[in-house]
Amino acid sequence: MQLVVNIIVLAAIYALIACGYVLIYRVSRVLNLAHGELMMFGSYLLLTTAWTFTGHPLVAIAVALGLSLVVGVLVYLFLMRKMTGEMVLAAVLTTIALGILLRGVMVIVWSAQQQYPGQALGFANPSIVLPGGARISTFAALIVLATAVVYAALFAFLRFSRWGVRMRAAGQNPLLAAQRGINLHAIYALAWGLSTLTGSIAGMLLALDSGLTGTMVLIGLKAFPAALVGGLDSLFGALIGSLIIAAAEVSLINYVDPLLADVVPFLVLIVMLILRPWGLFGTREELDRV
Amino acid sequence: MSKRMPRASGYFRTGYAQDFKLVETRLERVSASLFVISLAIFPFVASPFQLDLACQVFLAAVGSLSLMLLTGYAGQISLGHAGLLAAGAFTAGILFKEFGAPFWVTLPSAAVVGGLLGIVFGLPSLRLRGLYLAVSTLALHFVVVYIGGEYEAKRGYSTGIVIDPPSLGGHAITNPRIWYFVLLAAAAATFFICVNLLRSRSGRAWRAIRSHETVAEALGIGVANYKLLAFVISSAITAVAGALFAYYRGFVSVEAFSLFLTIQYVAMVIIGGMGSLLGALLGAVFVTLFPYWIEAVLAALPGAARYASVLFAVNYAAFGLVMILFLVFEPLGLVGIWHRIQTFFLLWPFKHRPVAGPNR
Amino acid sequence: MTAPLLSVEKLAVVYHRASTAVQGVSLVVKPGQIVAVLGNNGAGKTTMLRAISGFLGLDDAQVTEGSIVFKGMRIENRRPDKVAHLGLVLVPERDKVFPNLTVAENLAAPVAHRASRIERRRREALVYEFFPQLATLKGRIGGLLSGGERQMLALGSALVGSPELLLIDELSLGLSPVAVESLMHRLVEIRDGLGLSLLLVEQNASIALEIADYGYVLENGRLVLDGDPKRLLQHQDIREFYLGQATSGERKSYRAVKQYRRSRRWYG
Repeated sequence: MQLVVNIIVLAAIYALIACGYVLIYRVSRVLNLAHGELMMFGSYLLLTTAWTFTGHPLVAIAVALGLSLVVGVLVYLFLMRKMTGEMVLAAVLTTIALGILLRGVMVIVWSAQQQYPGQALGFANPSIVLPGGARISTFAALIVLATAVVYAALFAFLRFSRWGVRMRAAGQNPLLAAQRGINLHAIYALAWGLSTLTGSIAGMLLALDSGLTGTMVLIGLKAFPAALVGGLDSLFGALIGSLIIAAAEVSLINYVDPLLADVVPFLVLIVMLILRPWGLFGTREELDRV
Repeated sequence: MSKRMPRASGYFRTGYAQDFKLVETRLERVSASLFVISLAIFPFVASPFQLDLACQVFLAAVGSLSLMLLTGYAGQISLGHAGLLAAGAFTAGILFKEFGAPFWVTLPSAAVVGGLLGIVFGLPSLRLRGLYLAVSTLALHFVVVYIGGEYEAKRGYSTGIVIDPPSLGGHAITNPRIWYFVLLAAAAATFFICVNLLRSRSGRAWRAIRSHETVAEALGIGVANYKLLAFVISSAITAVAGALFAYYRGFVSVEAFSLFLTIQYVAMVIIGGMGSLLGALLGAVFVTLFPYWIEAVLAALPGAARYASVLFAVNYAAFGLVMILFLVFEPLGLVGIWHRIQTFFLLWPFKHRPVAGPNR
Repeated sequence: MTAPLLSVEKLAVVYHRASTAVQGVSLVVKPGQIVAVLGNNGAGKTTMLRAISGFLGLDDAQVTEGSIVFKGMRIENRRPDKVAHLGLVLVPERDKVFPNLTVAENLAAPVAHRASRIERRRREALVYEFFPQLATLKGRIGGLLSGGERQMLALGSALVGSPELLLIDELSLGLSPVAVESLMHRLVEIRDGLGLSLLLVEQNASIALEIADYGYVLENGRLVLDGDPKRLLQHQDIREFYLGQATSGERKSYRAVKQYRRSRRWYG
């Protein structure tokens, strides 16, 4: 039972991070490999707002969330916008470089020490006992809840709201979207903002659960095979992909070798690339777009 | 095309033999000789620190040339470079630790292992392109590094494998000057191998594949074979670079082969300028020396002590920033800048080359 | 003399700084007019439409000479969505609908800059009135529509933005003659009902000239003929090269009508 709980928590973490990759890829065909660093940046923002707004944890959280949305939009407006129209690979390399830049900046500003935003906010993290004797920490449970809420909100937004439809349209045929008056830069900025926001939610909850460390970036990187396995332009695929990879990782750690933890997502990814490169639910044309 | 027009006007090629020459005009001959002479004199006038820098540059150049071959010429994106370096280094390390093998066994073995791994890294390229190919090489990098980590853990070398320096006829090579010439020879050998490959049928095939794969296939170029060939050759050279790296440092450990190392090599190719061997060399020089420049700049700033503790982070941030600047503003890299300078002086007082325009 | 809605003057468009696709083309569209532009493949019609609607940058093409004036404003090299907001909308030849969105979503996606929400609803309802077939297909995915339905959806999604000038590229391509007839007459109804202007680029000369108020003929990037459609229909060269009707009515041998041996009258 504990095994199942672990799988669900890990899957939720991966899914919450993976939806950020999917959002940006779906709309602009760019793989944002700075997502892990942006996620971590969001958690550092929470740390700072926790220190600034001591005694008002909810305000701190709200401000941090708002700031992370703004950061995502700014990253698009000042950097990625210059790369639209260039080769996709150049854009991806730009995101990699951005990630490196962010990592340096984060250490310079906040030092490389492990931080505990939970303590700064005054939150405790007690273990909850579930039926069957399994244990889950409060924040891990919150992660699962957050993933469910975020995915539900994203599904509803993309399917039912006008700007959600426009986002999907821009992803399918950017030229036609522009011809129909849709401001592509606004759509891309929105995608980047939402992606950074959801990533920051994941980062903040992870930091509240187990502290802010450098391994967060690695978790961010491990979530992208989850997005790819499900199909880089499918939100639903990201959910399923995360489940598959989390299941594989937890089982193999438990039954085979703990050292496998960091390589399992990539092994699954390799298998998927051999069998079905466009992922379980991705659209097939993606393959030939370079 | 394999050669640019000779620069001096009034120079004509009158025979096929001239087509093959690497240095043609007198200006080129003079500058090449000066370059070689300065390379030869350098170890005798430089400080040990500068000597070490030069050795690092040569090591980087080998890896950078091989990546340029694969990515800049054959157009196969690879984010698994550090994995291949690790493979070479670990081959040398494992053979040394388990069998006490000498360097003239480990280096070729590293090349073989690299070549075999090249097939593995290259197989996805038969089905995937661009982003997906990059992702597959990235995944393979993690797998290779994991295997290396497993070896370290299982054999108890959790802090890394120590390797004795290579010995020639009973003399261990520890003198930095000798290392300088050894590594210079390796870099020069790699350079000439690459030049030769690019002027051959393989080179032309790679260029064709890079610019338009379907057309290349239609022209009868065995695209799959040449793609794999590019991966195999590039990986073999990279693995040898990794093995040399292991011998130079005397030490092999997984932590050194991170994703950041791959990005550094990719940066060498991009900052140097894609599709140019000169670019690979310039990029290798730039990226290797970059952290030392940053350190020097920081030391000159007031309040330097404050930054000393985060020097590594400043390096990181500055590196990311420079890479972004090159990607956004100068995608043709240092070679692009060099060509622009050249063009300015060549064409002066005119500003632009005449371009084929619409008939008016 | 009403001011023209769109005025293109001596336009020249060059691809890759080397190949001229359009040279010295001038045309005028007045409010409420239907203008037909005819020409064979490679005549430069699509390039001209792209230049007018702001799409050149993506193809490494530039407007090197001339001007494009819409409602008194110069619009060369403007961003496509800004041009659309001014009231100039293009219905492209290929990729004209969003393939993974439903019909209703296809009509909801366009941004109508100047219309209020009520007007927008009214416009969408109007589209269903003009194209009743679409009303029965509201939930169908765009990529699964037939050619005719897709063309109707493309026109509909162009109309929801309340455009003043509609540019339509090769409406008749891939459609049966019956469908083309019905669509063309629907276009006339739309023009009469909404008062907008149409610039039709067509290879199907007969139907285009039937509904147009004015016609232009492009060849190899140059304007070679223009005038009243009825007179164009009588013109010998049009009849021979576009309508397939030989001059004397008898069967001509291939040699005699081989294009390159005949000197084109319209240069004289």
